[in-house]
Amino acid sequence: MDTGTLVKQLCEINAPTGYENLSAEKIKSFFNPLCDEVYIDPFYNVIGYKKGTSPEPKKVVITAHYDQIGMIVTGYEKGGFLRISHLGGIDTKALLAREVVVHGREEVYGVIGAKPPHLLKENETGRNVKITELFIDTGFSDDTLKEKVEIGDPVSIAAPVVEMKNGCVAGKSLDNRAGVAALVLILEQLQNVKHPNDIYVVATVQEETELFGAVTSSYSIEPDLAVVIDVCHGDMPDVDKSQCFPLNRGVPVAVGPAFHSEYTNALFETGKRERIPTQRCIEPGDPGTEAWAIQVSRFGIPIVEVCIPLRYMHTTAELVSLKDIEAAATLVARYVSGDIIKTPEDIFQA
Amino acid sequence: MIALLKELAGAYGPSGREEEIRNLIERKISSKVDQVYTDALGNLIAVKKGQENGKRIMLAAHMDEIGLVASYIDDNGFIRVSNIGGINPYVAIGQRVQFQNGITGAVCYEESITDFKDLKLDRMYIDIGTKNREIAMECVMPGDIAVFCGETVEQNSRFISKALDDRIGCAILIELIEKMGDCPNEVIFVFTVQEEVGLRGAGPAAFGIKPDIAVAVDVTGTGDTPECKPLAIELGKGPAVMIKDNRTISHPMVKNALIECARKNNIPYQLEVMSVGGNDAGTIHTAAGGIPAGAVSIPCRYLHRPCEMVDKNDAVNAVKLLDAFIRMP
Repeated sequence: MDTGTLVKQLCEINAPTGYENLSAEKIKSFFNPLCDEVYIDPFYNVIGYKKGTSPEPKKVVITAHYDQIGMIVTGYEKGGFLRISHLGGIDTKALLAREVVVHGREEVYGVIGAKPPHLLKENETGRNVKITELFIDTGFSDDTLKEKVEIGDPVSIAAPVVEMKNGCVAGKSLDNRAGVAALVLILEQLQNVKHPNDIYVVATVQEETELFGAVTSSYSIEPDLAVVIDVCHGDMPDVDKSQCFPLNRGVPVAVGPAFHSEYTNALFETGKRERIPTQRCIEPGDPGTEAWAIQVSRFGIPIVEVCIPLRYMHTTAELVSLKDIEAAATLVARYVSGDIIKTPEDIFQA
Repeated sequence: MIALLKELAGAYGPSGREEEIRNLIERKISSKVDQVYTDALGNLIAVKKGQENGKRIMLAAHMDEIGLVASYIDDNGFIRVSNIGGINPYVAIGQRVQFQNGITGAVCYEESITDFKDLKLDRMYIDIGTKNREIAMECVMPGDIAVFCGETVEQNSRFISKALDDRIGCAILIELIEKMGDCPNEVIFVFTVQEEVGLRGAGPAAFGIKPDIAVAVDVTGTGDTPECKPLAIELGKGPAVMIKDNRTISHPMVKNALIECARKNNIPYQLEVMSVGGNDAGTIHTAAGGIPAGAVSIPCRYLHRPCEMVDKNDAVNAVKLLDAFIRMP
């Protein structure tokens, strides 16, 4: 399967944050043929395990979250309408007039109504709309709607994922199915490689709420090193160059206090050795990714982070370059297949 | 104490880059403790064994200091920065800073700023005197961290220096290690990493150690300078026993034991009630199922500036207080 098809198939899956049970099996099917064992944990993290060749293997975890931002039904409104709230940090201005799928007793299509400009009151113009002002129009009668949809049912945006002519894809949920695609590519590359350490790829849940999937999976797996793959901001007009990354110009690797400096340096070395260009992504504090949660799990876990530049984050028109996904995957695959784990004594007594 | 403090405060060690300060502390203490090791995040852990049936007491002081990280280097070689920990842009103006490799720079702001209310760190930069980006990149890479320069001096029984937060805490623990001799309880001294970016090192260290009780030794603000906000903490009136801050309400057992030790031994002490800030106790007390934790705080003026100021006697009395505390039955 080429990368474009892989990314499209992954993005078409719906896994609203907290409701990953809808799709854990689908994610698992991508890992199944490429791992020694794949399991879904009680939180619906999907964990693929590949055994290492060393007699005393260490554990390396690679995570990418597979949940997506979405909405949740909060109530009914006469006339076949649903009131909603947000699941994760959704941007309401990207919601107006969108088609959606309500994951009810059956999947119900609807649209998010937007008042026409003619009907807006004075205090409704010139500001971003609040999610409590939005509603989903399903077209059903009130009674039928109540049979099909309950309060608390999750809602996904229905938007196509389009492969563009320029090697990019655009659409919904690329944050962070681009990362999940990288996990699959990493597993593919590891098929013919002898790697000393046990490798766990983890498609995590509930990143978009409070990084919970990373909290629980890192506690239970107890890795010696965690590699986090997530998206960072791609470049676009009128945004400061220091805050975003150009597409196709190298893999952004996180640098900052939280990121283990020895392991991060080793990652840059791998890039140099394998001729995979990298960029430096400076994170002075909380990077807002799973790395922050994993680092302080149990006794403390060294973390590194590899990013995929993505434009228009948390909208239905997220855009990434397939080459960037492939480069991130190759960098991580080459990195984790080496004998990279050191003891604190090795690292800190140097 | 001044000789020790000079070495400690002078050492380079912003959050996440604690190698130099850690090596220095390890050299100072390794022959005086039963065991010393570094954990996965870089916390330095030293154990002084106690007697059978003794308690296990963790004392924590953070090694890291605040800094400015190079985030972007422009075509002319000026280095744009972000803050590592709490750095006030007003304080940063005109400061001399130094990177790990010794490269020194001046912190300046865009001259187009006419109203200082608009001053933010992203409109400031470090000038290391290079002509262009290529030359600058040979000296400093994005991600490299600079710290304030600020020599350590003793004057009128007070210490003035950069990084007294929390090298004064490190100095107190080192003095305690040197002076304590045999103790009925096991004492685990932890020199933590990454406190300034969110109390990151202490929690995992506590999870690994699982002590019976823990005390963080850190600095706190004062209410004894002209026109300052009211706060019942003064320089020279003794170390402060933390009652609460924004991250922790001290465990009653720890707080009461510290107060009792101070009273019994005629050690002056103050009580710290803060609505802002936090110290390592904030992540220790919820680690490993819950660890009763509190803090001994050294009053410090001009926090997070290159001229932090503490009273020598407060530090000396903190050593005495902790020495009594670790012997509690």
